[in-house]
Amino acid sequence: MLLLIKNETIKMIRKKRFYVVLLVLLVLVPLFAYAQLRESESKREKFGTDWRREVQQAITDNQNSLGSDRVPEEWKKYRKIYIQQLKYYLEHDVNPAQPGGVSFTREFLNNAASLFIPLLIMGIGSDIVSSERTMGTVKMLLTRPIRRWKVLLSKLITLLMFVSLTVVCTVIICYLISGLFFGYGGFNMPVFTGFQLNGSEVDMSTVHGVPQWKYLLMQTGLIWFVGIVVAILAFMVSVLVRSTAASIVIMMAALIAGSILSNMASAWTSAKYLFMVNLGLTNYLAGTPAPIEGMTLGFSLAVLSIWGACSLVVSFLVFTKQDILN
Amino acid sequence: MSTDDQVVVTERKNVLSVQSLKKRIGKRWIVKDVSFDVKEGEVFGFLGPNGAGKTTTIRMLVDLITPTEGRVTICGYEVHKEPERALAYVGSIVENPEVYSYLTGWENLEQFARMMPNVDESRISEVTKLVDLDGRIHDKVKTYSLGMRQRLGIALALLGRPKLLILDEPTNGLDPKGIHELRGFIRKLADEGMAVFVSSHLLSEIQLLCDRVAIISHGKVLAVGTVEELIEGSSSYVIWELEPRSEGEKLLRQAGASIVENAERVLDHATIAAISGNAVVTQMSPDDVTDIVPQLVGRNISVKAIQKISPTLEQLFLEMTDGESIE
Amino acid sequence: MNTTSRIWRITGLLSAVSTVILVLGFLYAVKDIVQPAQGEEQAHLSQEFTSNYPPQGNNYDVAAIGDSLAKGTGDDTGAGFAKRTVELINNNSNESKLINNLGINGLTTAKLIPLLDEEGVQYSLRQAGIIILSIGGNDLFDGNSVVNGGDLPTELDLEAAVKKAGENLSKVVEKLHQINPHARLVYVSLYNPFTEIEGMRDIGNKAVSSWNLIAMEVMDLYEGSLIVPTYDLYMNNSARYLSSDHFHPNGDSYQLIADRIIQGLAIPHK
Repeated sequence: MLLLIKNETIKMIRKKRFYVVLLVLLVLVPLFAYAQLRESESKREKFGTDWRREVQQAITDNQNSLGSDRVPEEWKKYRKIYIQQLKYYLEHDVNPAQPGGVSFTREFLNNAASLFIPLLIMGIGSDIVSSERTMGTVKMLLTRPIRRWKVLLSKLITLLMFVSLTVVCTVIICYLISGLFFGYGGFNMPVFTGFQLNGSEVDMSTVHGVPQWKYLLMQTGLIWFVGIVVAILAFMVSVLVRSTAASIVIMMAALIAGSILSNMASAWTSAKYLFMVNLGLTNYLAGTPAPIEGMTLGFSLAVLSIWGACSLVVSFLVFTKQDILN
Repeated sequence: MSTDDQVVVTERKNVLSVQSLKKRIGKRWIVKDVSFDVKEGEVFGFLGPNGAGKTTTIRMLVDLITPTEGRVTICGYEVHKEPERALAYVGSIVENPEVYSYLTGWENLEQFARMMPNVDESRISEVTKLVDLDGRIHDKVKTYSLGMRQRLGIALALLGRPKLLILDEPTNGLDPKGIHELRGFIRKLADEGMAVFVSSHLLSEIQLLCDRVAIISHGKVLAVGTVEELIEGSSSYVIWELEPRSEGEKLLRQAGASIVENAERVLDHATIAAISGNAVVTQMSPDDVTDIVPQLVGRNISVKAIQKISPTLEQLFLEMTDGESIE
Repeated sequence: MNTTSRIWRITGLLSAVSTVILVLGFLYAVKDIVQPAQGEEQAHLSQEFTSNYPPQGNNYDVAAIGDSLAKGTGDDTGAGFAKRTVELINNNSNESKLINNLGINGLTTAKLIPLLDEEGVQYSLRQAGIIILSIGGNDLFDGNSVVNGGDLPTELDLEAAVKKAGENLSKVVEKLHQINPHARLVYVSLYNPFTEIEGMRDIGNKAVSSWNLIAMEVMDLYEGSLIVPTYDLYMNNSARYLSSDHFHPNGDSYQLIADRIIQGLAIPHK
């Protein structure tokens, strides 16, 4: 088995798919970091180095939008929660947006969790089986004296290994590059978590500060879980669909549909059983309201796990029974 | 292929045994009934036109397709029940030898060596030398020519010291020199005791290469035997040029010879081109010719020419498949 | 050995380590979200945050607080009198910046009182040398309702509103003074935006003047405070000085108010 995993790992590296992922990160992260830098520079012009005034202004601005009839009720709920969190930071004299490599990484991961990182993982996972079909090497692979489920399992394990590597590399690249812009500090800065949401009210009784490095660790752990599920889904599509292009398109459509649904599906509550709207696990950590009423961390984990388990069953059943016709 | 196996074999063992193999895809029976055995040390030809079910059958031999009915046994292990044992005795190239083009030849061999028991680095160098690829083995496969890929494919197939080598249309895309070399190579492997299964839609290739042949058409095996057996079993053709033709034809009929109406369906193009349009083609045993000639002469029919056509595998094939198109 | 083995060993090791770390992070996160640690009240406010006053002397930095007028609603440039005041001070070659514009649309005196208890608000106000307050309009009139033909308030309603808001105003001003005793407090007084509406002109004028009187009494308690009149601007010129919503000032009249603030503050030219 280990030898099979070794095979798959070598193929993965040699196919340079993983390098592409790293390259994408190396190109995009500086762009984001630069944009962030410009933004904080323009804020500095207004507020100098006084972050407290900046936060207070943000609170006031959000309070103003609460009064406006043109702002949808849904957004008002978000803003009310946001205001309460900002006030909490201010009352505890902690800058929620302390510039620094670690903070940037944390913020980046928050935004990347439900679309960007899944897309990267999908790029790796979508062709792990279908490329063997496209190239015809599947015939060589399956005529070896090895049971098919072992071949498939080795591919799955390899994929999961690369999910871990992708997540960790994202964090590291993000930290190293943003450090150039914002400095490398901020590991011990406190971040508040534990905001419990009841409708638009925030229960502050369980709010507690954790050092930022710990927060980052929790974030990446949650993102890793999302990555695993996305990888398993991409894996299934890769088994079911013969062409790599088709399997990438299918996964991409599903992921993007998820991010669109999250923004507008609050009325259609059954959408919460779709895997795509449950990818934002880091929101539970940050205390951002879930896109649909009734979603909790436990709920999302359960939905994702069920989707993952079903895809695994389908993948293995299909792959071991399937006739290789072309 | 170690030389120990190569004692003079008195009783040749069955390496591959295929029993009433059937495959249905959707509502169509792609393979209706295929049975044959392949013995060690022989080159077995699997002949049939494109679309006859050859590729599907081959894929069932190596567990790429599960048969609807029937059994494939390799060295005593049923392929679909114990693939991990049965396939250990098989080396195969199904259609084109497709390998990972982003790896070097050597890395490809390593990949597949890890998937087989008892294949180490020295075995990899051995097969590399065997197919004469040692010069380029550390180059990426995408830089290889088609012929080199073919040789790499054979090296991969031979890696696990198989008892059965399955080659699907092995001469596709090779130049005449390459084909010639391949033929010699296959013969050598068979002489060392390996069973070699070669599929082809090219008659000439099979006739030159194979000891025994199975002919398949429309998903059914029509005949299995040595090339000689098959040819002997079929009747041969005699071409007559008689004057007057109609009289002669009548007499031939009376004498019991069956007249072939559309000769182009049973004779190859070269023969057809050589005979005159006036000729009568009969299907009969050559021995009867001596009896008929005096009768013709006695009726004042002049016999301008008699030509005996020794049957070829191609004619045999045309006859069996009722003139199905074939190269 | 060769490169492939090296790839395998490095990738295998790195991914194993990464996976272990990530699994730990995941478990820790799940635990932390499902059973959050009780909020330990660790955060002590820094000295700088709770009682930091900038050097007084020539502090001309401006903070605005109150309702939509403080915010600058109706000003197409979004500046409002707060920013315009800052610009005017700067034009007189004194140094000034806008600390914060804490104006919130629709704010009443009652809602302003708890706002002043917030740390962030207090922090901003303490930074300021000049605090501009505008409040009371929403206590007296529901601008939207009046302009859009809703029920007009009666004289009695207005009198009651003035009385109640007046009590609140004195608390507001007292609090402001407590928060930042050094700053100069500027109150932008009320005007009657409905001089064109029959039935609102007279009772509106009356309510506004009694309100402004109360405001003046409250402000007079504190030294260095200033009341800026606006009443006269809209008396006969409402079409010219009101914005398209018919009760907020437009940019021009915000500028006029800022001019008056500057005049009232008597900031020395440099």
